[in-house]
Amino acid sequence: MSASVRLEAITQSFARRGRRRAALSGVSLDIEAGEFVTVVGPSGCGKSTLLDLVAGHTRPQRGSVTVDGVAVSGPGPERMIVFQEHALFPWLSVQANVEFGLRSAGVDPASRAGTAHAWIARVGLADAAHLHPHELSGGMRQRAALARALALAPQVLLMDEPFSALDAPSRDRLHVELQDLWRETGTTIIFVTHNVREAVVLGDRVIVMSSGPGRIMGEVSVTLPRPRVVESGRVVDLAQQVRGLLDEADQMGIAAPREGQDGYVTI
Amino acid sequence: MSPSSGALTRPEQDESSPAGHSRIRALVPLAGVAALLTAAWGIAAWVADALPGPTATVAQLWEMAADGRAGSILWRVAVFMGVSFAIAMVLGIAGGLAISMSRWADRGLSAYLAALQAMPTSMWIPVVAILLGTDVWSLGAVVTLGAVPAIMLGTRTAVRNVPPLLLRAGRTLGERGTSLVIRVVLPAALPGIMTGVELGWSIAFRSLVAGEIFSGALSGTGIGTVIARSRRTGDLTEMMATIVIVLVFSVVIDRWVFSRVQAHLRARRGLVDPGLPH
Repeated sequence: MSASVRLEAITQSFARRGRRRAALSGVSLDIEAGEFVTVVGPSGCGKSTLLDLVAGHTRPQRGSVTVDGVAVSGPGPERMIVFQEHALFPWLSVQANVEFGLRSAGVDPASRAGTAHAWIARVGLADAAHLHPHELSGGMRQRAALARALALAPQVLLMDEPFSALDAPSRDRLHVELQDLWRETGTTIIFVTHNVREAVVLGDRVIVMSSGPGRIMGEVSVTLPRPRVVESGRVVDLAQQVRGLLDEADQMGIAAPREGQDGYVTI
Repeated sequence: MSPSSGALTRPEQDESSPAGHSRIRALVPLAGVAALLTAAWGIAAWVADALPGPTATVAQLWEMAADGRAGSILWRVAVFMGVSFAIAMVLGIAGGLAISMSRWADRGLSAYLAALQAMPTSMWIPVVAILLGTDVWSLGAVVTLGAVPAIMLGTRTAVRNVPPLLLRAGRTLGERGTSLVIRVVLPAALPGIMTGVELGWSIAFRSLVAGEIFSGALSGTGIGTVIARSRRTGDLTEMMATIVIVLVFSVVIDRWVFSRVQAHLRARRGLVDPGLPH
């Protein structure tokens, strides 16, 4: 189950402290059904805004967002978002968190429990189903959040830097598992990150964005066999190429902040 | 065990040990302070002649317990407060949710609610007594309305402090409108709402006793009768015994209801530091 996503000439700005700040300017993007697309760029390049638009949390000022040809008019269970911070409900156990969306969708209690259980087991949390989010490690929380999103069988899975707060070993393991989950479910994934190697490891296509205001600088298609890992030499080579695109943006006078500065890009 | 370390580790013990062992240990500081207070009271009674000492009061309590007066006061206070406060909670939480949903209502009402909360509710007693008569439930109305502003404001603040991320997660998962409020906003705001409820409880209790002082048998709990009798005879023994009864009632409600609920809410949400070692 998957859907195509089409963004056309999106322009979006926010009022912050009384001044309007452009977040996205003339962004167009075509994503095929079942594609795994990663979006990389410095903080403040409008990556998260892009996901918000597809998720239906915000509406574009100009341009249009369509999923399978239908204009997005609000949040919907066919478009799930996994946040940077797990966003699990702290008063519910992992089991109840995963069942939450199923209950909203009107699934009856018995099959709700079954579906939730299956997804919890699939992400490797079978023994932790009865625990509350605060009793889990960071990696386990993101697994639970992933199970909660996938339990609703979304056609599009939106991921907003979901692994950026994790330690490297957990992140590497989740990279491999996410590629497996994607292959099994066939869902369209839009994965936003500021980590260039992560983008190359995960995506069929890496979209490179620049900030101030956010626009698409170019894209790099990745045809390496899966599952990929960050240490692979070819991943590192491609990451250099993506890095080059970000550097170009820098030379054009478009800010792609450097390491040590606000919103730098890691490689 | 020092009282401070007991206070720090108690929530964890409540969760981890099923037996009553830690529960008894948690009562040690409580009993210790009670003993200290009783000793201070004894000294005060020894200095001030008119103040009945602990011994005389306990004898009086014994007598009141034997002839059913103590039980009757406790029972009637519990029923009166229970009913009035249940109504206040429903009104306060519903009202608090309503004002946190509407910016207009919030701007219009919050200032008045804050003023009402700060104002002694007992000022309404003469008004209510004349409007509704010296009936039990006219004081009930004062007690309820005294607690409502605190609960409303507590609820409003708690709802405002709900992390926006949880609301976004709730919407993404398919909730909106009333069901978003019931399944996400309320549970997320519950610890904060409880703080408002506790404040409301103490205001309600004050209003009750104020009503008793104003007019002997207004609430029908029997406290007013005791106050009137003590005033007439100048003998404070029965009054002190009644104060002890009310104090015990308050401590029990605080320990066995409010503290328990708070500890439970906080523990489930991971707001309790499990303490060292990690």
